[in-house]
Amino acid sequence: MSTMDFFTAMEVSASGLSAERTRMNVAASNLANAQTTQAAGGGPYKRRDVIMQSVDVPGVQGTPFAQAVKGVAVSQISQDTAQPRLEYDPGHPQANAQGYVAYPNVNPVEEMVDMITASRAYEAGITTMTTAVNMAERALGIGR
Amino acid sequence: MSIAPITPPISPELAGITGVTRIERPQAAPDLAGTFRAALEDAHGAEHRATTAAEQFAKGDTGMGIHEVVIASEKANIAIRYATTLKNKALEAYRELMNTQV
Repeated sequence: MSTMDFFTAMEVSASGLSAERTRMNVAASNLANAQTTQAAGGGPYKRRDVIMQSVDVPGVQGTPFAQAVKGVAVSQISQDTAQPRLEYDPGHPQANAQGYVAYPNVNPVEEMVDMITASRAYEAGITTMTTAVNMAERALGIGR
Repeated sequence: MSIAPITPPISPELAGITGVTRIERPQAAPDLAGTFRAALEDAHGAEHRATTAAEQFAKGDTGMGIHEVVIASEKANIAIRYATTLKNKALEAYRELMNTQV
């Protein structure tokens, strides 16, 4: 379809929106579990991080720009390998023999910054999308 | 009676024109009907995808987010308007021809 050119821009920014939404979800998960001492698999919750990867978008395959125009996708959500934060609290049920409780390696300030970045990137994606839609609409209005 | 065919040169002025080559119509020239049909099919597909996306979202499908639904409907909107624009242009051209004074 000849309007596919604007649809490509829409596909690309849509992939960005989805990736940023995932980043937002991960930041929410990290913040919610900032005090979780008992995670699946034992030990405290481990901070999650998103790994983003550029992917092909439909509509540009077979064109000279197939290798240039790329969408984005979250390839995996990895665990932060930083050591858990130890707090002295001998009365805590999860305290070890020395009286220390292992808390998640989550820094709420860092998560807030991540969240703001995701939010701003989402806004940028929306702006790209709106601009592409506006351009398509302007093109449809030629000669009217 | 016999009609004499027009033989070149028609006029002395035209005799000097040389080097004009006839432009052949391309074999697979895209016709308006074909373009319009393709646009309609695209619009239909986009509309169907938008409806499916909205249904999936309403059903609580985890893979279907808010922006996917909005984008699908926006794409359908553009595709339908594209098809409508082609239809309007074709009708306009047809009316123009029909109104030709003979």
